[in-house]
Amino acid sequence: MTDTTVQDDRTLLARAQGGDMSAFEALVDRHEDKVYGLALRMTRSEADAAEVTQDTFLSAYQHLAEFRGEAAFGSWVHRIAANNALMRLRRQRVLDIVGEELAGPEFTERGSLAEAPEADWSRRADDKILDEELGRAIQGATDALPEGYREVFLLKDVEGLSYEEISEMVGISIPAVKSRLHRARLALREAIDAFYKEV
Amino acid sequence: MFNCKDSIDALLPFLDGEMSPEDEEHLKAHLNGCPPCVEFVRSYRATSGLCRKALVKSMPPEVAGRLRAFLRSKLETK
Repeated sequence: MTDTTVQDDRTLLARAQGGDMSAFEALVDRHEDKVYGLALRMTRSEADAAEVTQDTFLSAYQHLAEFRGEAAFGSWVHRIAANNALMRLRRQRVLDIVGEELAGPEFTERGSLAEAPEADWSRRADDKILDEELGRAIQGATDALPEGYREVFLLKDVEGLSYEEISEMVGISIPAVKSRLHRARLALREAIDAFYKEV
Repeated sequence: MFNCKDSIDALLPFLDGEMSPEDEEHLKAHLNGCPPCVEFVRSYRATSGLCRKALVKSMPPEVAGRLRAFLRSKLETK
């Protein structure tokens, strides 16, 4: 987010805190895509994502007076959305699977990589347009992660939250957050590697 | 001296800049002699960015319309 955007948010926020509904609607306009995107990635349901988005902006409006502006409005509303999405997942979750086997590199007895990565696909990460097939493969691989790993990966690498924020939201220690993040990245790296080896 | 497994286990603290100088030396020494691990580090590093691009979603216009209507109905009654 640019300095100008943050500055504009502050102006709108001040007006919204003074009761200007149109200013609040302008803030919603600016941030709804990001909030909805986060909610959809986390819940994997369009209906749930729409509800999380509604609850998030309603909650933001109800707490506008308490928002002092130390953080950017976008970061604040993003954290509210992440909390709402996590709470919804928790309610729906029957079993929290955290010990499942995840794909990762295989090693020889001496700790060497059993199979060398063949395809040099890392440079393609800079391409502006992502291959549609690859996008679907990544979506599938992310959806297939055990829930405890998926939420940590999304919150850190896609939403950009800090380890501390995730630890507090998810209710696990920072070393556990890091461990899950690393294993999720390894599993997703394997999935992307497999995709490039097949094409 | 790190092997491939030690090096891959250490990637998160390495990329976060939170590795001890001693371990960083071990990792760099391993990477200097192991092209597959160099490739692995590149692809591990690229994974987050590719996933971010693949998972970006915008709000459909009809959902945006419903959101406006919902907020107006809730906030006008306050």
